[in-house]
Amino acid sequence: MKKERGQAKTMIIDRTPWIALIGIVILLVLPVFIQSPTFFQFMILILWYAYLTTSWNLVGGFAGVLPLGHAAFAGIGAYASSVLFIHYGLTPWVGMFAGAFLAAIVGIIVGAPTFKLRGAYFALATIAICEFLRVILENTQKFLGFDINGARGILLPLKGHSPINYQFLDKRYYYYIILVMLAIIFYITYRIAQSKLGYYLTAGGEEKEGAEALGINVAKCKLIAMAISTFFTGLGGTFYMQLVHYIYPRGIVSLDLSFEIAFIAIIGGRGTLLGPIVGAVLLVPAAELTRTYLGGSYEGVHLMLYGAVLMAVMLFKPRGIMEPLEALYRWVHGKFFLQPLTQTDRGE
Amino acid sequence: MNLLELKGLSKSFGGLMAVGGLDLTISGGEIVGMIGPNGAGKTTVFNLITGLHFPDSGDVHFNGERTTRLKPYDLCLRGLGRTFQIVKPFGTKSVIRNAMVGAFCRVKTTQEAEEVALEVLEFTGLLPKKNLLAKSLTIADRKRLELARALATRPKLLLLDEVMAGLTPRETDDMISLVRKIRDQGVTLFIIEHVMQAVMNLSERVILLHHGEKIVEGTPQEMASDRRVIKAYLGEEYVIARG
Amino acid sequence: MDIILATIINGILMGSVYGLTALGLTLIFGVMKVINFAHGSFLMAAMFLTYYLFRLTGIDPYLGLVITLPLLFAFGYFTQQVLIRPVFKIERDVREPISVLMLTAGLWIFMDAFALALFGAFYKTIRTSYKGAVIHLGDVTISLSRLYAFLTTVILAILFYLFLKKTRLGQAIRATGQDRDAARLMGINIDRIYNVAFGIGIAIVGVAGAVLLPFYYVHPVVGVVFDIRAFIVVVLGGLGSIPGALLGGVIIGVVESFGAQFMTATWTEGIIYAMFISVLFLKPEGLFGFKAEW
Repeated sequence: MKKERGQAKTMIIDRTPWIALIGIVILLVLPVFIQSPTFFQFMILILWYAYLTTSWNLVGGFAGVLPLGHAAFAGIGAYASSVLFIHYGLTPWVGMFAGAFLAAIVGIIVGAPTFKLRGAYFALATIAICEFLRVILENTQKFLGFDINGARGILLPLKGHSPINYQFLDKRYYYYIILVMLAIIFYITYRIAQSKLGYYLTAGGEEKEGAEALGINVAKCKLIAMAISTFFTGLGGTFYMQLVHYIYPRGIVSLDLSFEIAFIAIIGGRGTLLGPIVGAVLLVPAAELTRTYLGGSYEGVHLMLYGAVLMAVMLFKPRGIMEPLEALYRWVHGKFFLQPLTQTDRGE
Repeated sequence: MNLLELKGLSKSFGGLMAVGGLDLTISGGEIVGMIGPNGAGKTTVFNLITGLHFPDSGDVHFNGERTTRLKPYDLCLRGLGRTFQIVKPFGTKSVIRNAMVGAFCRVKTTQEAEEVALEVLEFTGLLPKKNLLAKSLTIADRKRLELARALATRPKLLLLDEVMAGLTPRETDDMISLVRKIRDQGVTLFIIEHVMQAVMNLSERVILLHHGEKIVEGTPQEMASDRRVIKAYLGEEYVIARG
Repeated sequence: MDIILATIINGILMGSVYGLTALGLTLIFGVMKVINFAHGSFLMAAMFLTYYLFRLTGIDPYLGLVITLPLLFAFGYFTQQVLIRPVFKIERDVREPISVLMLTAGLWIFMDAFALALFGAFYKTIRTSYKGAVIHLGDVTISLSRLYAFLTTVILAILFYLFLKKTRLGQAIRATGQDRDAARLMGINIDRIYNVAFGIGIAIVGVAGAVLLPFYYVHPVVGVVFDIRAFIVVVLGGLGSIPGALLGGVIIGVVESFGAQFMTATWTEGIIYAMFISVLFLKPEGLFGFKAEW
C-alpha cells in the first residue's frame, strides 16, 4: 500500500461534473421546499462567494499566482453597470458586460508588467490596485462626467419588479441568477482545466523555466487567465449591486473582500474545481456566525476565523480541504463499491 | 544545410566573460558534443541559444532564421528543444501530464496530446510509470522524463545538458542507446557531457570549450589524442609531466 | 520657501519611519525571498506592546525598547520557527514560494482581527513628557518626537549595516540570502539563520513601533497603513536592497508631506499608489538600481 504514495490522484477531476450536476439539481429544486426569505438571502450570499472564488481560482489557483485585490474588479463591474444605468438607462443586463470588459482590461494592465516578475510583485500590485481604486472612488464626485459621489457611494434607482432592469422584489430570482452564473463559471473552469490552457497554466505556475523551454509563453497564459477571471469577477460585482441596490467604495472595493475571496479559495483547495465552492459553503456560514456572535460593533472581527483557518490549512493540508475530502471519497468508494477506483491517466 | 549557426557569440556576467566570440555550425542529422571543464561556459552557450539569456554580441541562426533575441517559447515552437542540467519537472504532476504539456506544443486537443505523450513515454521507456508523480521518480527517470517532454515538442534540434550526470554505468548505457535512437528519428543533437565515454561514443564531432572559448574542434578520435584537451582538463603540469 | 523646507524636513522625518518599517521587510525578503505580508501587523503588535508598557508602568517608549525588543525578536523568531518554516519546507525547491505569501497574508488578517476583538476599534495615544515639544531651526519648527524617531532610524541603520558586514552572524545571513545551498554547504544552519533574520526583521519593526507611538496613534488596523507603505517603499527601493528601503521611505515621506500641504490627504494616498504602479511598469527593479546585496 505504501507504494501508492507517489501515484497521481486523479479520478476526482473526472467525476467532478457529476458531483456538480447533482449539486445544481438539488439547488434548483430547493426553492420548492424552502421558502424562507432569510434562507434565500443566506444561500445567495454563499453562492455569490462561491462564484467569486471560482473566478479567482482561475488565476489564483491554476496560474499559481496570488491575487489579493479581486474586490477591485467586482467594484469596477458594479460601478460601471450602475453608472450606465443611472445616466443612460442602459439595462444592467448589458451594462454588466461593459463593466466586465473594463474589469478585464484593468486586470490585464495589472498583470502585464508583473507576471514577468517574481510572484511577490504581482501580489503586491493587486493589493495596490485595489487600494488605489478605492482612494480614487472615495475622492471623485464626478468621473468622466458620471456622478459617483465619492465616499458616499451610489444608489440604484429602484424600479420595483422589473426583470428588464435586472431588479426583482422576490429574492428567489437572484438566487437562480447567481446559481446559473456559478454553473457557467464552473463549467468554464472545468473546460479550461482539461484544455491546453489549463495544462499550460498549471505547468507555468509550477516551473516557469521548464515550461518556457516546452514552448509555453507563461506570462501570456497567466494574462489570459487573469482576463477571464477579472471579467467574471466584474459580472459578480454587478450582481451584488442589483441585489443590494447600493454601494460605496469601502463597501466593495476593500481589502477585506479581496482577502475573503482569496482565503476561501485557498482554504477550500486552490487549483481544484470544487475547492472554492466547498470553501464558500463551509466558511461563509461560519463567518456569518462569527460576525453575529463575536463581531459586536466591530467590522471585520469575523476575518479572524479566515486568518486562523487559512494558517491551519497551509500548515497541515496545503492543498486545502479538498485534500481530506478526496481521501474520504476514495475510501468510501473503495469500501462500498469493492473495486477500488482505478487511476485514470491525467494527473492533476 | 546548417541547422544551427553561432557567429561571434559573447556573454559576460558582471564583467566576467562566460562565453567569448564563439563560432559554431551544426548541420542536420549530426550529434555534436561539447566538453570542457566546470565553469567553461557550456550551459551558458545553451542558454544563449535557447533564449534564456540574450548575448551581449554575436548572432544565433536557427533553421535559416536569425533567432538571436527570441524567447525560449518562441524557439521551442520553431523546433528547438532542450533539457536542463538540473531537471525541471512539474513535480506535483503525473509523468504523463508532464509529457502532455510538451506535446501541446504541436497539437491542440487533450486527446491528441495524450497520444503524443504516450508515444514518447513508450519511446523513452517511461510508459509503465506514466501515473507516478514526477517528483517521486529516480534521478535516471527524471532525466528520461526531461527528454520525453522535450521530444514531445517535436524538435528539429535537441540540446541535451548533461543527461548522463548522476547515472550508474548501466543507466548511462541505456541513456546512450536512447540518445542514438533519438538521432535515428531524424533529430539533430547537441550535447553537453562530462561522461567522456558517452561523448566519445555518441558524437560525430566534439568541441572543447575552455574559459568560454572554443579551443579545439574535431572527431572524437582526434580529440582523445589532442594535448590541448588533456591540458584543459588536467592542467599544464600534467601535460608537461607526460610530454 | 520656509513652508517648502519645513515640508521637506517633516517628510524626511516621517519617511525615515517608513524606511525603518521597510528595512525589516527587505531584510526578510533578501534572506528568504518571501514577502512578509503580516509586517504591518507586527508593527501594530509592537505599538500595542509599547502602549501598554507605558500605560501600566509609565516606561518611556524609548526606554521600553529594553523590554519590547527582545520580546519582538522572540515573537519573530518563533513565528518563523513554528508557522513559516514548515510551510517553507514544502516548497523548498520552488523558485517562488507562494504558500508562504499566503501564510503571512493569513497571519496579517488574523492578527488585525484578533487585535480588534481584544482592544476594540479605538484610537489610542500616549502623552510622553516631550509630546508637543518642538525645536526651531531657523524658521522651521520640528517636532521633537519626530526628530528622535529620525535619529533612531539613522543610528539603527548604521548599526544594522555594521552588523551585516562585520559580524559572523551578519555574514552568515548575507551568505544565506545570496545562495542558500552554498551557505548550507559552508556549514551554515539555514533554519536558524531564517529564524534569526525573521526575528531581527520583527525587532526592527519593534523599534519603528516605539519611535512612532509618541507622535502617532495605535489602532488594530494601524498596520495596514504602514504595511502598504512598506510594500511600496521596498519596490521603489528595489526588493531586498537596504539603502533602497531607507531612500524609498524618505521619498514616500516627502511625497506624502507635500501632498498633505497642498491637497487632501486621500489624494496623497492616490499619488503614492500611482507612483508604485508606475515603478512596477517602468522600473520594477527599483528606482535607484541598487542591486540587492545578498
